[in-house]
Amino acid sequence: MRMARYICLMALVFLGTPVRSPSQNVPYERILRSQSEPQSWLTYGGSYFSQQYSLLKQVNRQNVGSLKIAWMYQPSRPVANLESSPIVVDGIMYITEPPSTVTALDAHSGLKIWSYTPTLPEHIVSIGLYATSRGVAILDDMVYIGTADAHLIALDVKTGAVRWNVHVADNIMGYAMTGPPLALKDKIVVGIAGSEAAVRGFLDAYDARTGRRLWRLWTTPRVGDPGAETWGNGAAQSAGATTWNNGSYDADLNLIYWGTGNPAPDFNDDDRPGDNLYTCALLAVDGDTGKLKWYFQFSPHEDHDWDSDEPPVLFNATIDGKLQRLVGFANRNGFYYVLDRATGKFITGVPFVKQTWAKGLDANGRPMPAPNQEPTLGAGTLVYPSITGGVDWTSPSYSPQTGLFYVSAHETGAYFIKGTGKIESGPPKGIVGGGGIRALAGEQSYGAIRALEATTGKLKWQFKLLAPAWVPVLSTAGGLVFSGSDEGNFFALDAETGKPLWDIQMGHAARSNPISYSLDGKQYIFVTAGNAYIAFTLP
Amino acid sequence: MLTVSYIFAIPVVCYAPLEPGGRVVSSQGWPCAWCVQILALLLILAGNSLPCFAGPPQDGKAVQLAPDQLQHGKQTFEANCSTCHGLDGGGAMGPNIQGVPFRLGVDRVANVIKNGMPGGMPPFSGQLDANEIQQVVGYLLTLTRKDEGKVTGDAVAGKQVYDSSHCASCHTISGEGGDIGPELTTVGQSRGPNYLRTTILFPGTDLPQARIFLETGGQLQFLFVRVITKDGRTVDGTRVAEDSFHIVLEDAQGNFHSFRKDQVRELDKEPGQSTMPSMKGKLSETQVNDLVAYLAGLKGTP
Repeated sequence: MRMARYICLMALVFLGTPVRSPSQNVPYERILRSQSEPQSWLTYGGSYFSQQYSLLKQVNRQNVGSLKIAWMYQPSRPVANLESSPIVVDGIMYITEPPSTVTALDAHSGLKIWSYTPTLPEHIVSIGLYATSRGVAILDDMVYIGTADAHLIALDVKTGAVRWNVHVADNIMGYAMTGPPLALKDKIVVGIAGSEAAVRGFLDAYDARTGRRLWRLWTTPRVGDPGAETWGNGAAQSAGATTWNNGSYDADLNLIYWGTGNPAPDFNDDDRPGDNLYTCALLAVDGDTGKLKWYFQFSPHEDHDWDSDEPPVLFNATIDGKLQRLVGFANRNGFYYVLDRATGKFITGVPFVKQTWAKGLDANGRPMPAPNQEPTLGAGTLVYPSITGGVDWTSPSYSPQTGLFYVSAHETGAYFIKGTGKIESGPPKGIVGGGGIRALAGEQSYGAIRALEATTGKLKWQFKLLAPAWVPVLSTAGGLVFSGSDEGNFFALDAETGKPLWDIQMGHAARSNPISYSLDGKQYIFVTAGNAYIAFTLP
Repeated sequence: MLTVSYIFAIPVVCYAPLEPGGRVVSSQGWPCAWCVQILALLLILAGNSLPCFAGPPQDGKAVQLAPDQLQHGKQTFEANCSTCHGLDGGGAMGPNIQGVPFRLGVDRVANVIKNGMPGGMPPFSGQLDANEIQQVVGYLLTLTRKDEGKVTGDAVAGKQVYDSSHCASCHTISGEGGDIGPELTTVGQSRGPNYLRTTILFPGTDLPQARIFLETGGQLQFLFVRVITKDGRTVDGTRVAEDSFHIVLEDAQGNFHSFRKDQVRELDKEPGQSTMPSMKGKLSETQVNDLVAYLAGLKGTP
């Protein structure tokens, strides 16, 4: 019997046809219909809508209290800044290990199947960021990673063998990649990091098969471009608006949604009067051509480091009796926004944390600045929220079941101090512009998981945390919300009421998206902490 | 954009003075007179060549810095370090690092700046040269000694005051003593006489802080907490650990008490109070001065 199987296998090899099983093959249509396979987790945020929502409901309000660790994986060497969110497909999990290693695990057991580590330069320039990776994208039979030295690499999904490797941008100039790519149709869309090094941001698309660049959308204009007039001293040195996290996609509208970061220098705005397009904005980009369809700038002329790089959450909901296509965004500037995602039209915006920098938003969603909230030299200006904002890059979650938008909110302010540096030519030596903050003492700050009515931003409930947390959120059809505290708790709340139902101290905060998948009839909840990748399941 | 994240499985414990009232003082806000005073004191500490700046003796070498080098260290710190560690080193997206050179030694701190460390600190070897790193370390040494003051008492007499007041029942010096209050083996390095005097007379005013969480400045250490459980027990003590679901106290007898917050009816935190008794009225002015002199001279054993 064994011999017969061996002969069969050898025959396939000698026939010369590649052995291609249907498993771990993820054509675009499969990602598009990710709702039909809730056992998988096919994109960074679970689907093109980045809802961080799982349709699985084996783990629910009644039984979540008995959730137990199923397995743990730890890289052979300790890693720093583990923010890696996995892709799970056909029983295999694809994770990244900082800075830029990709590893395939057996999602049943946590055992390692293959691992790929690119050759990185001895010295990686990482200014204003850490050389980490938030995960891979998968398309057809390849997985894709953006590396700390700004390469995009395609790997064979079965073996980790390199299919192609392209140089996206110059790391010496401060460009780096930390965000997961977004795979759609036949292309891989990637953003870039480096605003603190005063790089000029862009969004790129590459041919998924060959790595050939298909288009590049610069996210700041230069002299003569539309929007150059928003850089008051001329746009010759326009910098920032980096695209360092993940985006979302609406196939019906064929629009990619991607947030942009702060202008540079950040805490010193002397040389850049004006709105500084397209910094701190949400961009809607044509999925084929890379042309900008519309933009919405949350924080014109930003100088508190309030990037808008959180993954935009797409959802459909009824407003004024009409089903609408919406995008929800809990912005670092402290406001929760709802926009029409076909047109970019502002629908509503309300603070979801204490904020002191704006008197409110006008009818178009533009902030009306409050006086004396700019960073100043010397002792600085006390502003709410703090430098990492109402929430930073950690993904929020939307549950179609409850209609609620869940966000890990930061309740704290800081003294903002103006920097003195300017943009210089040549490789950056450090954070361009300097400046910074002095944090408020811990006892004056707290965090909370807040459930907002997704269409209005109205607070439905909150679960308070000891400290502001940098932990993403997952909601599930089991009526649960999973998130964590910065003190290392990982917990489940009732999605309707916020009541805590289960918790475990993991020894370190979860910095990756909690996700859920299912294998052989068992639902798993997965998250990382410290050096560990941890899968939970019911006994 | 600052996508920084940190890994602190173990709380980083450092001593970060707060102004009474809780506002952290900006290093930028120092009058020049301060710098002069600090430099003068450091000259005394170093006790040798001019101008110089003393690192902890266990390092076996001092950081030699002229005032302009110290100023350059401050600028380098502000340009490269402050966005994460705060302009006063009191923490921002990164940890509070005030006092760290006193605990780790200047060589190790220089090494961390050069090579980075797991948990989030990036290597700066490509951005800063050895000289600039030394200047930053020299500047870091100044961060905990804001409220300086002068030593006027007699350290030998102060040792007797320390013993007769039973300070050692709560504090440890060079391995001898209790564990309820902070260890004082090197307190003379990280704290100036004025801070020591304030703490002796008004122990709750200026509690040290530990940088524990990512987002904020330090959390108060030795915070006085009263817990009343749902079954009616009352426990007073200092907080030794806390997360969103638990709190651990150490009572005045040195016993640890761990509570789940869902089993607690009242949790009263009392910043401004301390389990340490005030020495006001118990010690004479001379005795306080002597005790300050003794503590200010504690620099650790080489």
